[in-house]
Amino acid sequence: MTLLGVLLRKELHAAFTSPVAYAIGAVFLLVMGYTFSLTLFFTKVANLTYIFHQMYVLLVLLTPVLTMRAFAEERRTDTLELLLTAPVPEIAIVGAKFLASLALITAMLAASIAYPVVLWLYGHPDWAPIYGGYLALVLLSCLLVSVGMLTSSLTENQVVAAATSLGIFLMLWFADSAAYLAPAPLDTLFINLSLIGHFTTFVRGSLFLSDAGYYVTLSLFSLFVTTRALADR
Amino acid sequence: MSDRSPVIVARRVTKLYGGVPAVRDVTLEVEQGEILGLLGPNGSGKTTLLRMVTGYLSPSAGSLTVAGHDTVREPMAARRRIGYVPESVPLYSHMRVREFLSFMARLRGVPREAVAKAVARASERVDVADVLATPIRALSRGYRQRVAIAQALVHNPDVVILDEPTNGLDPRQIIETRRLLRDLAGEHTVLISSHILGEVEKIARRVAILLRGELLAVRSVADTPDLEALFLSLT
Repeated sequence: MTLLGVLLRKELHAAFTSPVAYAIGAVFLLVMGYTFSLTLFFTKVANLTYIFHQMYVLLVLLTPVLTMRAFAEERRTDTLELLLTAPVPEIAIVGAKFLASLALITAMLAASIAYPVVLWLYGHPDWAPIYGGYLALVLLSCLLVSVGMLTSSLTENQVVAAATSLGIFLMLWFADSAAYLAPAPLDTLFINLSLIGHFTTFVRGSLFLSDAGYYVTLSLFSLFVTTRALADR
Repeated sequence: MSDRSPVIVARRVTKLYGGVPAVRDVTLEVEQGEILGLLGPNGSGKTTLLRMVTGYLSPSAGSLTVAGHDTVREPMAARRRIGYVPESVPLYSHMRVREFLSFMARLRGVPREAVAKAVARASERVDVADVLATPIRALSRGYRQRVAIAQALVHNPDVVILDEPTNGLDPRQIIETRRLLRDLAGEHTVLISSHILGEVEKIARRVAILLRGELLAVRSVADTPDLEALFLSLT
């Protein structure tokens, strides 16, 4: 097992035994189950577009709570000093925490596969938007987790980490609104920074490389800055 | 000085925090198998110096080598030779002792097939073999300290660094820790810090006195009968 594997095992154990993770998972599935049942009952349409947007909102709100502990807790308890004085590159520490948080969110998303299964059993859903929606949720999770980890790496206060990442997510969410006020070419920049703008395209069943590139680029950038923040001592 | 080769070499090491020196122009050598005590009041730069040796902090100026490896240019090679116990004794409370020691052994480069043996050896060395199955959160302060020392020894490093190792221990635990540290000498090079003169005097072979980030003197404990007077005259 590589160093990344050793660290990932520890992080997965911490993530999947944390009461915070189970609380978040329970809230996510409870709200989604309620929304799905209600939507299906009223519209009677085999479509998950509304559900994916609900998941988007919940992920934006819940991910900061999930990632706020990543480094802030290790910094507070000084265990980060143990990790950073071991012969382990910072990128492995960051990578393990990122993959563990992503695994937790993916497990939550996997549990929601019950919804398309229900649609398939009782109707004829269009699968392209469903595949696109799940791909969008995974890419969105990558971005949210990486930004959440970045803010956690900059402070030892978990509340500050969570509040800062939530602030960043909301600013990105509503970035396209600022485009109305900004002059060209800044308006294009704001539109392209929009979190929801790139998400909606996927949920409609269209797959553009630029949308995937947005999530991948911002995720990698955040992970890079997190690694630099850890290395800068 | 003996003819033993230095394992830790600090050359004109300085650490600045926002332009303010926490450690200033320190030159120091620690020989193979010796115990060197860093002595100084709180805020004298002991922890900063130790953290630079471990590679946790980078020097603003000067150079540091551990077993011939520069801590900035070859950080991984240097860290493989070090076992470190920070002052706050950080441990993963949700783990059991065996799990924690195995985790630290793997991180420090012990091959998977040798981990069980390494954990058994380190736990016997510091007398925690009877609590290997206990969750760390359930351990007393004394046991936590010993587990922290065990994780520093689990990969059999050349250098063991302990920051204020007897802080918060009861008198019996202090005596046991002193004995343990003295036993490490010869097999490992030990660098400890303390703000208690009597503590360093009882454990170390040589003492380095720091004040406001500056190294004031390095003396052999055996050759300095009145260390207290020397300390008072320097500080």
